[in-house]
This record gives sequence, structure tokens and C-alpha cells, in this order.
Amino acid sequence: MIPQYYEFSCQVKIVSGLKALQNLPYEMDLLGAHRALIVTDQGVAGAGLIKLVESVFTGSNCEIGAIFDQTPPDSSSKVVNQVAKLFSNERCDCFVAVGGGSSIDTAKCANMVVTEGTDDLLKFQGAERLKKPMKPFIAIPTTAGTGSEVTMVAVIYDDVNHLKLAFTSIRLYPNVAILDPKMTLTMPPKITAATAMDALTHAVEGYYCLQKNPVSDAFAIGGIKLILENVEQCIKNGQDENARLALANGALLAGISFANSMVGIVHSIAHACGGVARVPHGLANSILLPWGMENNLEKAGAVIAELAPYLGASTKGSSLDQAKACIQAVRDLQKRLKDLSGLPTTLSEAGVKKEQFEAIAKAAVNDGSATYNPEDVTIEVVMGILNKAF
Amino acid sequence: MTAQKSPISYQVKKTVVETSLLALAAAFEIVSRHAPEMKAELADWEDGRIFSLGVLPNGPAISLQKKGSEIHYLGKGYHNPKLKILFKNLDAAILPFTGQIGSHIAFVQRRAILHGNVGEAMQISRAMAIVQSYLMPGLVFSKIFKRPPKLTPAQLFLKARVMATIGPAIFMKIWK
Ligand SMILES: NC(=O)c1ccc[n+]([C@@H]2O[C@H](COP(=O)([O-])OP(=O)(O)OC[C@H]3O[C@@H](n4cnc5c(N)ncnc54)[C@H](O)[C@@H]3O)[C@@H](O)[C@H]2O)c1
Ligand SMILES: [Fe+2]
Repeated sequence: MIPQYYEFSCQVKIVSGLKALQNLPYEMDLLGAHRALIVTDQGVAGAGLIKLVESVFTGSNCEIGAIFDQTPPDSSSKVVNQVAKLFSNERCDCFVAVGGGSSIDTAKCANMVVTEGTDDLLKFQGAERLKKPMKPFIAIPTTAGTGSEVTMVAVIYDDVNHLKLAFTSIRLYPNVAILDPKMTLTMPPKITAATAMDALTHAVEGYYCLQKNPVSDAFAIGGIKLILENVEQCIKNGQDENARLALANGALLAGISFANSMVGIVHSIAHACGGVARVPHGLANSILLPWGMENNLEKAGAVIAELAPYLGASTKGSSLDQAKACIQAVRDLQKRLKDLSGLPTTLSEAGVKKEQFEAIAKAAVNDGSATYNPEDVTIEVVMGILNKAF
Repeated sequence: MTAQKSPISYQVKKTVVETSLLALAAAFEIVSRHAPEMKAELADWEDGRIFSLGVLPNGPAISLQKKGSEIHYLGKGYHNPKLKILFKNLDAAILPFTGQIGSHIAFVQRRAILHGNVGEAMQISRAMAIVQSYLMPGLVFSKIFKRPPKLTPAQLFLKARVMATIGPAIFMKIWK
């Protein structure tokens, strides 16, 4: 069914494939930039990936101005200001984010701070607050999960109120996303599984949430297919470049989908679990996805049922039967990923305490994703899911 | 030749939106004074919070403030609000104000955007839903709510009171 009204955009040049990383200086040059600030974290640098990035500048007319490798899992505006300061002090002219969602989003936020000439990022909360053209931005994802390399979204942590804060603006799109399988080969199995489940959640929630549209649907289905065909192989053989590249493309498609259709209750509770109990984003989504789908059976069961062939679920019976089979297919996948990588399947295994439920529920109903969920997201509904997922 | 937007239809739309905003403001004041579910929602808001609803780029707007356990109308325009809910144009605003779509759908369809903290906007959006349950006819509930509320006798009584007092309340706000 065609929605009454929708908007769609994705303004990112995608450079994907073997040795795609070598194109970094060329892409910088095309953007009129020659001195990069690399934003990354200790895990990515420790895996030797920044060395790979440094090596591609040899013989080019571009250089690295500075490297910030201290991005924490949940960046706050303090970290963002540090990155912005380094950018200005080292006279850099573009951002190159190398890492997962944490590094990419930190760099996106630092770009806001530099461009708007402020140190109060929080002033820009909400949608479309940015009016000035941003500095050139290239994203090189090293996880296959968030899709931040193709989204207009940046998420950071408010360490005072223990909440995730969201910024959206068409100016937050990276100019270029470089997907090189070499950059994800070093991802450990558990992180591979968790981040892939984040991507799957983007595609599945993106497919049934309220702003779904024919364009985002196409990306969601393409994403689901690539993610499911490759996630287990990436865990079994982390060095399989073809599977890694395909999974990265699956996450990218899912990212384009959800940035337009938005996500729902799974993400609102996952953000709350991240804020209150510090559960990694992908892991929280992985645990909550089947419960979130179940929560929407009444309102969106027929839409969820359409995913049966792509999720490897039975296409027999009523649409409710098929929707339930989809949920079971996700549960089966969870179990296989647990066997392969040790990825937890319950909130208790993920370290959440029952005493935290109330704070999580309060944060979840105040998370923007709740708006896009077909079913109403209330404290009672969230508490119900938390208890079941415990 | 492209058709020019009729100034009359523009004025009509502007008047509809202006009146709807004043009705919302008036209903916010009455409901926050009497409805326990609204008081419960407001309990978590910091005192003094100012928020505005308006139409871009220079359309009608109102500002409201939480004072104590109630919402007060501050006047037309933007009174230094902490948070703004902005409709992209008059048509975008008319849809939710006339019960054709829910206010959450205005955000979902990106006809409205937020300037400010998302968590606080979610609180405001829940408060607006409570106000709408008193302001809108039950007939449109299934269109504007994900889960249409079933009003209790006490709530129906308050709804009748809102209906009886909203006219004069809007009138009093026209010049504020
Ligand atoms: N902007 C968006 O559109 C969007 C969407 C979803 C999530 N997010 C945000 O993204 C963040 C999560 O990002 P993430 O899941 O990509 O994880 P992450 O960036 O936090 O990385 C997780 C861990 O994996 C390590 N790692 C990453 N790549 C590696 C590699 N190739 N080899 C070895 N180690 C590697 C990192 O060092 C880190 O320790 C959250 O803050 C979430 O809120 C943003
Ligand atoms: Fe996500």
C-alpha cells in the first residue's frame, strides 16, 4: 500500500569493494579537502586499521592532519568538543570517521560543532537545526551495523541525564561512504553478530514502522537478504572478504531504509537500555527484536508477514501465522548466533538488573523512535517487554 | 501558466490554524487544571518550561508554559521557548488540527519538525494527546490515536465542560 505521503532521501556517494579504501585521497580531493582529521577508537586502532588508512595517503596530494583515537563507546558532548578543537587546532579541512557508529557519530557531532562555531552541541537537538554547509565528511565503517555512514542521524550520550540524544539533519549525511572488506575483517565474532543484528533490526523495524514507503521497503528487503545470507559466514570465517563486503552492504541498505522509514519500539527500548544499563546498541536490539515484532502483531502483523520469504520463515497459513513464523525465524537466528559467537539472548545475560526496569521504561517512552512504532508505546507496554526479555 | 495561490484561501487557512492554536491553548489550560492524567504527565516536567507551536516560515504561533502543576498560555508568537514544534506550512498544520491525522502522524510524515530535546517533545506530544481527547470528537479518535482512549464518566464530564467554555476562552485569547 502506498502511504498517504512520504519523503525519502539519501545523499551519500557509495564506494564499495575490494581496495575501495585506496580511493580515500581521491575522494577527499574531489571534495576539495586535503588535510583529514581521522576520528576512531582504541579498538579499531588496536586492530591495525588506522595503519591501513595511513598507508593509502602515500603518493597522494592529501595528508592526515591529526588522529583522534579516544572515542568511547558512548561519546558525550565533552568528547565531541575535544574532537572539534583538534580539528581546528590542526587546521584540518575534512573529517574521516573510521569505526563503528560510535566513531562516525562522534565525528558527525564534531562537524556540527566546528561548522556552527559553538561548544554547545545540545542547542542543535531536534531536526533540521543546521543551516550552514558542513565540512567534507567521509565515513569508513568498520562494523556492519549502524548504517551511520548513510544516515542523516547522529546519536550521542547525555552523561548527565543518562540518555541517548538524537540529531537529524540532511547536512549530517556523510559525503562519501567507503566500504572496504579489509576494514571489517578484524571484527570479533560477538561484535560481528551484535552489529549485524542492529542492521537486521533497522531493516525489519524500517519495514513495518509508520513512515515505511515503497523506496525504503526496497532497501529494507535488500538489506535483510544480504544480512541473513552472510552474517553466519562472517562469524564462522571472519576472513571471508566476500561475505564481509556483502554484510557491510546489507547494513548499508538497512541504514538507508531506516533513516527514511525510521525505527520503533525495539530501538526506543534499546536506546533506553544503552542509556540506563550501558547495554551495547546492537546487543540490545538483538535481544529485543522478536519482542518488538510481537508487540506490533495486531497493528502490523500483515506487513510483518510480507517479510516471511526474506526471513526464511514459513509462508503457509494466515498472515498472522506468517508474521508469527517471522518472529520464530528471528528467534532461531538469535539461537544460532548465540551458539556461534556467545551473543546473549536475554537482558539478564546482558547485565540489565530488574531494578533498572523503571528507569529504562521511562526513557523508552520518551525516545523519539516510539513515535514511529505502529503500536502505542506506554510504560506498561515497555515493562511487559522488559519482563519477557529478561 | 502556473496558478497563483489564492490570497483568500490562504487567509482562510491561516484563520483556521490561528483559531485551532488558540483552541489548543485554551484546552491545555482547562485540562491541565482539572485532568488527573494531565497532572501526572506534567509532574515530570521542570517548572517554567516554555514551548511553542507554530507554522513556518512566519505563520501563526503560540507559546505555552508549565507553571506549578498547570499549563498557561503566554501569548501569540514565540516567547523564548525551550522547544518548538514547527509545521512546514499551513496545510501541514491543518491536517492534525482538524482531526484528519494524529499529531504523531504529522511528525511521522515529516509535516512537522522539532527544534529541541526529543525526550521533552515526547512528553509534550503525550500531553497534547490528552488535550486532544477532550477537544476532538470521539468520531475521529481512531484516526488520531494509536490506541483510542475510552473516556470515563468523569472525563466525559470534563469534556463537556471544555466544550462549553472553549468558545469564550478562545475569544479571550484573541488579543493576547
Ligand atoms: N547514526 C546512526 O544512524 C546510528 C544508528 C544506529 C546506532 N547508532 C549508534 O552507534 C553506536 C554503536 O555503533 P556500533 O554498533 O557500530 O559499535 P561501536 O562503534 O561502539 O564499536 C563497538 C566495538 O567494536 C570495536 N570495533 C569496531 N570495528 C572493529 C573492527 N573492524 N575490528 C575490531 N574491532 C572493531 C570498537 O573498537 C568498539 O570497541 C551507538 O552509540 C548507537 O547509538 C547510530
Ligand atoms: Fe540501530
